[in-house]
Amino acid sequence: MNTAITGVSLLLPGLTDPRGLLRPAVTDGEPVDPAALIGKKGLRYKDRATQLGLCMAKAALTDAGLLGPSGITIPGERVGVVVSTNLGNVDTVCRAVETIAKEGTAGLSPMDTPNASSNITASEIAIRFDLRGPNLTVCNGATSGLDAVRWAALTLRSGRADRMLVIGVEPENPMTRALVGGPVVDGGAALVLSRSAEADRCRAVLGPAVRAATLADGAGRLADAVPHAGAWVTDHSDVVPEFAARVDLSGWGECSGALGVMQCAAAVGWADSGRTDPVCALTGGHPGAVASAGLVLRPPGPSS
Amino acid sequence: MSYPITGVGAVASIGNTPDEIFTGLCAGRSGLGPLRGFDREKFTAQQLFEIDDRAGTGDEPGRATRFLIEAVRQAAEDAGLPEDLSGVPVLIGTGLRELRSLELWWRDGIPFDASELDFGPALRRRFGAVDTHTFANACSASLYALALGWDLLEQGDADTVIVAGCDTVTESMFGQADRVQPPPPEVRPFDRGRQGTILGEGAAAVVLRRDADPGRPVRGWLRSVAINCDARHPTAPDREGITASVRQAHRIAGADPRDIDLVVLHGTGTPINDLMETEVTASVFAAATPALTGIKSQTGHTSGSAGLMSLLVALSCIGTGRIPPVGGLVDPLPEADGLRLVRDAPLSQPVHLAQVNGFGFGGVNAVAIVAGAA
Repeated sequence: MNTAITGVSLLLPGLTDPRGLLRPAVTDGEPVDPAALIGKKGLRYKDRATQLGLCMAKAALTDAGLLGPSGITIPGERVGVVVSTNLGNVDTVCRAVETIAKEGTAGLSPMDTPNASSNITASEIAIRFDLRGPNLTVCNGATSGLDAVRWAALTLRSGRADRMLVIGVEPENPMTRALVGGPVVDGGAALVLSRSAEADRCRAVLGPAVRAATLADGAGRLADAVPHAGAWVTDHSDVVPEFAARVDLSGWGECSGALGVMQCAAAVGWADSGRTDPVCALTGGHPGAVASAGLVLRPPGPSS
Repeated sequence: MSYPITGVGAVASIGNTPDEIFTGLCAGRSGLGPLRGFDREKFTAQQLFEIDDRAGTGDEPGRATRFLIEAVRQAAEDAGLPEDLSGVPVLIGTGLRELRSLELWWRDGIPFDASELDFGPALRRRFGAVDTHTFANACSASLYALALGWDLLEQGDADTVIVAGCDTVTESMFGQADRVQPPPPEVRPFDRGRQGTILGEGAAAVVLRRDADPGRPVRGWLRSVAINCDARHPTAPDREGITASVRQAHRIAGADPRDIDLVVLHGTGTPINDLMETEVTASVFAAATPALTGIKSQTGHTSGSAGLMSLLVALSCIGTGRIPPVGGLVDPLPEADGLRLVRDAPLSQPVHLAQVNGFGFGGVNAVAIVAGAA
């Protein structure tokens, strides 16, 4: 069974068109303003990652044709959510211990309680759009975004859901910046995944996924799967074959858990630009990393 | 479909192995104690179910990882797996990841690398595992991970999967609870006098196989795991969502409610969870009377590991024919009239098929069905 991307959204400072990911990063973009995108209602007390995630969710569901004037247009129990984020609620957690040290727990806001749990973004998205299928938060380091796509695809294969909304999001704030030692993307991307056979608006088809102990092994297995990929989306220039284009997203800041999902969005941008050759996405594999994860994405054929 | 559980492992405040924990539950032992890792002057509540493993006074980083490693080690050994787990997917459900280490980094400057927020790097160092996955799914996390482990086997992506859950208590979560609820003196699930939950620490792990190995023991059979989301409220449970998850678990397992001998309830001791869970259980089991128990009065609410911890208890009930009582239950809530909550002393009763509930913040529900030898 093949899995297709049937909806996509991108939300970065200064960029929302996936085709823009094929160009160098925008360095002077304004921070995303969630209230301007989806209205102020319901955003109060939500952390930055959740606000950004809600915006991406709405845009991706709309792009997939799943959102009507009165909400989701297919049964909500058949739609699941996977959020990939490593840094999502780092700000809430750090702020809480700081407050407790200074003022004791009386200084805490009860409204922060849900934000102390790392699945806050996924659950808020489910609540806002009535998505009652499997609801998963993947916090898996550098490979997290592509891992989230893998688990969403598995959930479709196993029949637990008919559509999966996958979101990769990381927020910028003093805590996340200090933790990763530099600027954070403060945005991300979202995908809607469907079974290919049921996809009436295919943007790209997911090919094989690989996971390997090292970057070289992961790259090798991707190259074996698609010897003539047109582009490689990866932070590592040394694994890209000479004939292939390299798409480098590192200029957007530390993308962490958002990276793999942004890579998939870049592949959709590749297809949207009229290219028909496959794309390889590759994350992880840097020194000290657990593993590398890779994914092949193919633009839809002329017949689809 | 049904998959053998070939290895188990766990640590909690009341025991360092699944057997010790089960024995402790049956003996009425409690892991509740005074705060060990937090500054007592900062909190109204003064008790937690902590694992007493700290070397000195004050707190230290990396404890969730340490508990996880021990539970996985036990489970792998029990299943006869090699020390090298490079070919085995390891799925970890957790509520709070290594956020306690993050807290100590931010507040006290104790060195911490962002990559250690999840458990992958530690599992790679200790077991050579590379296909590791950390899922932060609140208090149903380990049963959610179990559902994905099931899918890996069913879809032919793996022959062996290790599923685990682990958590320590973070100061941020404990602090938020301290801010919003008066501290309960004890956890009394399903009692009229229940006043809330108290967090605990622990880790649990199982080895799941596509096929049992001839000549090796099977600890039980996984018959189904259902997962869904309420999509209603960030912290409060929802009747419709919970009911759907329980019915889905029965449907996947091909089980009638009358086939189920035991339900290990989520039973947090909060007024709203226990009321909702009781009402849903009464409704789903209208034509049946399984024995009902829950473990959190003695282990505390162990968050991400709680579901799998309950599942290991269910396996012990199946294996021994003994069901530990709900500790602290004196005067059951009126909605439990007609339900068979185990009280006061362990109940001796054969158990063939058991249901295990796990519900979490964000309305993430997971329900598993396990069986004894086929």
